Amino acid sequence: MKGLHVIGVSHTFGDNKVLDNVSLMNPAGELVCLLGPSGSGKTTLLRLAAGLERLQEGEILINDEVVADPKLHVPPEHRGIGLMFQEYALFPHLSIIENVSFGLDGQPKNKARRRALEMLDQVGMVPYAENHPHMLSGGQQQRIALARALAPEPKLLLLDEPYSGLDTNLRGQIREETLNVLKASGVATVMVTHDPEEAMFMADRIKILGDNGRILQSGRPHDIYYHPRHEFVAKLFGLMNRFESVVKDGHVEIPLGRIQAESHDEGRKVEVLVRPEGVLLEIGGEGAPLDVMSTHLLGHDNIVRVVLTADNVATGERDVYVRIHHTFEPELSQRFTGNIDPEYAFIFPMGEAGELTGNGTVSASQPEAAE
Amino acid sequence: MNEFMTTEAATTGILPPRAAGAKRNVWSWLNVWSLGTVLIAAAMTVPILAVLIIGLTPGDDIWSHLASTVLPGYISTTLGLMIGVGVGTLVIGVGTAWLVSTCRFSGRRLFEWALLLPMAMPAYVIAYVYTDILEYAGPVQEVLRDIFGWTLKRDYWFPEIRSLGGAASMMTLVLYPYVYLLSRAAFMEQSVCVLEASRILGRGPWRSFCTVALPLARPAIVIGVSLVLMETLNDFGTVDFFAVGTFTLGIYDVWLNMNNVAGAAQLAGVMLFFVVFLMLAERFARRKQRFHTTTAKLKALPGYQLKGAPKRFATVACALPVLFGFLLPAMVLGGYAVTNFDAAANAEVLRHAGNSVLLSSVVALLALGIGVFMAYGVRLRKEKIVTFVVRFASLGYAVPGSVLAIGVLVSLGGLDNGIDGFMRRNFGLSTGLVFSGTIAAVTFGYLVRFLALSFGSVEASLSKITPNMDGAAASLGHGPFSTLKRIHLPLIRGSALTAVILVFVECMKELPMTVILRPFNFHTLATYVHQFASDEQLGEASLAALAIVGFGILPVIVLSFAITKSRPGHSTEEPTS
Repeated sequence: MKGLHVIGVSHTFGDNKVLDNVSLMNPAGELVCLLGPSGSGKTTLLRLAAGLERLQEGEILINDEVVADPKLHVPPEHRGIGLMFQEYALFPHLSIIENVSFGLDGQPKNKARRRALEMLDQVGMVPYAENHPHMLSGGQQQRIALARALAPEPKLLLLDEPYSGLDTNLRGQIREETLNVLKASGVATVMVTHDPEEAMFMADRIKILGDNGRILQSGRPHDIYYHPRHEFVAKLFGLMNRFESVVKDGHVEIPLGRIQAESHDEGRKVEVLVRPEGVLLEIGGEGAPLDVMSTHLLGHDNIVRVVLTADNVATGERDVYVRIHHTFEPELSQRFTGNIDPEYAFIFPMGEAGELTGNGTVSASQPEAAE
Repeated sequence: MNEFMTTEAATTGILPPRAAGAKRNVWSWLNVWSLGTVLIAAAMTVPILAVLIIGLTPGDDIWSHLASTVLPGYISTTLGLMIGVGVGTLVIGVGTAWLVSTCRFSGRRLFEWALLLPMAMPAYVIAYVYTDILEYAGPVQEVLRDIFGWTLKRDYWFPEIRSLGGAASMMTLVLYPYVYLLSRAAFMEQSVCVLEASRILGRGPWRSFCTVALPLARPAIVIGVSLVLMETLNDFGTVDFFAVGTFTLGIYDVWLNMNNVAGAAQLAGVMLFFVVFLMLAERFARRKQRFHTTTAKLKALPGYQLKGAPKRFATVACALPVLFGFLLPAMVLGGYAVTNFDAAANAEVLRHAGNSVLLSSVVALLALGIGVFMAYGVRLRKEKIVTFVVRFASLGYAVPGSVLAIGVLVSLGGLDNGIDGFMRRNFGLSTGLVFSGTIAAVTFGYLVRFLALSFGSVEASLSKITPNMDGAAASLGHGPFSTLKRIHLPLIRGSALTAVILVFVECMKELPMTVILRPFNFHTLATYVHQFASDEQLGEASLAALAIVGFGILPVIVLSFAITKSRPGHSTEEPTS
């Protein structure tokens, strides 16, 4: 297989296990996003693939050749990979064209220059060829870093939080541009990020790394969003409404309604997470009665905080967040009824004492069944 | 390789092909650095270890003799000198640093860098100058006698310059810039916010200084004073000239007059205890310093506008150290040079100057090369053993020159004996002394003492380059050597130059080691000046002394450059190109 193949990699820093039996397959032409909180070891995985860190356990192959196992370490300069750093790491004393042709040493001078200009053209930076990095804006530096990494036609491209240095407006634009350049080059790409939205936008496949160093789930962006297999994964995309309940007759009952739970054991204590967009508001419908506490316009959406007024609701579960279209702006204290769209509700089993077990990510002792 | 392939085949059941670069295993590359680093560093520690070993070996009767006669005197004199210089530099250094960094008064901008000028003066040079001025036959006492009609020495009291107090004053005058420099940097780094907070909470400028600024700057001040005391221990020229019996002088006495290297080494071993104490103080302060940074954001310090008497006092307080530490002695030397020009400018002096410049240049370049090699070796592989050996090797700066010189003598003597014995046994010929008493010995001694200077500035400069640069270069196909040449060296050019200048000037001024290690009839400017001045012929040596001072101004220029750059409001970004 062309591309990157990581098999059973584990890595510890001191007592801290940042990667635990991680495997990853990244064929040419595909973009895989490693998504995880800071400190989850995702950058370590990149550095291991690049050869900047020595492998402790497992095996790494690039284009079917072993580049690292616990005894073998091919130095980074012989791996033929491209690597783009968070802060770009452009060489400040070299001009743009010298930066981009830095990896083209083996080639004749004019050929290297042609290739470098070709790359600069792809990212629209030819006019800046003779400038120095400090004269460029953040977005421009990002493009140069991309051009430099791709110029030697690497077998694999690694991107480490490539957009974190850019402001929000620029980020969207550069993201799109980068994606086009990457798709045109057809290189296998691994990108590391802690921004779920970015991962959703860029990735063909997403791998979610928990802070215990294990892959919690992997799949297409759609799977990750609509079928989170872990409370942790479900919570990645922001605010969640959380309820506790018990499975009864193949269903769970929460204040906002009844949801099917056939795959869970009867009588099992569970946690139910509902996305704000999964709460449907109606006026005078059949659902649970709700009072509006506050409304916040976020741009395209409104986020509304409502409070459940029914008597049978536990205090911790009274507040509910609802995401609705911005044209619909409810008034304060307005009375609604609420229902659940089961597609946005996820059920995870809990232990006796109330902590999560099984698929839950909180207790590290539980075996992991990600893929 | 074979064995490894089979084990892998056994565990995975497949035999994947190797990547093209696999044969060039990373170990062979990096071992050049690691091994080289460890070897060089180990060589640098030999003289210190030699002194320690001999110092701890109970041997001749000389030791008990020394211990019962002169040792208590050495200890008390050395301690007295350290206390005097320590207190003096502390008061002048911290006081002037506080004035120029937080107050506004006439000449502040000028004093900011002028206060560094005395650094250019070796203590022994101003000692010769002030002795010339202040001794009985000197102009000052002559004028006093004329005015008051005194005729004999017993008619009046005048402080004796050739004394412990005199030596302490001389060293204070030229060493306070260390404390000034470090405490000033510490005051500048303090966020104005903490001082403002203190003012708002009701404490005046003076109490804010005592309760906030001073404690925050304490680690830096401790470092500065430790460096000063290391220099104090190192001094030979002044104490020799003034006949103040410190350890350093004792080591010479035992070595030269009693012709007993082992005894000198044992004294040196005792002296190392003082050094260890100073180093611990310095290390401890450096460790604490990390917790004393208040914020990364720098704002201009408040700048109390002084008026009236305090303003005049501030100006005078800053002017006096510059006047007595630099201007006056420089002018006196200049005067001597003009009146004695014919006697002072001769072929001999030129030859010594040539020796000094050549020797210092060679050592400066060697130190840079080795410093870069070691710093890069540490950067490539942060292995504990490499880091430890390198740290130990850069202890040379703390060890007094006399101690190192004895260590070099002993270790090279041992090496020479070894070579001689080997050649005699195997080839029947005697090689005699190969290294002892040669320029090579002097060069080695200088390197051991000053390597830390170049290593330190290269390492500091390298640490400012993000490791991602290395990663980027490696991912683009460049190995460690190529990356060093094309990325790191161009980026650290500035501090490499600084390192060369610093080591060069230290070598030009170096006296205590050169006196012991120099070959027969070989002089540097420093030893020449020392010899003539000791014979009360300062006039003849004035030009040579001025030359040393002239070179000494180079680092002052470098440092004042750094000061202007680090001033808040100016760009504090890393120099790139």
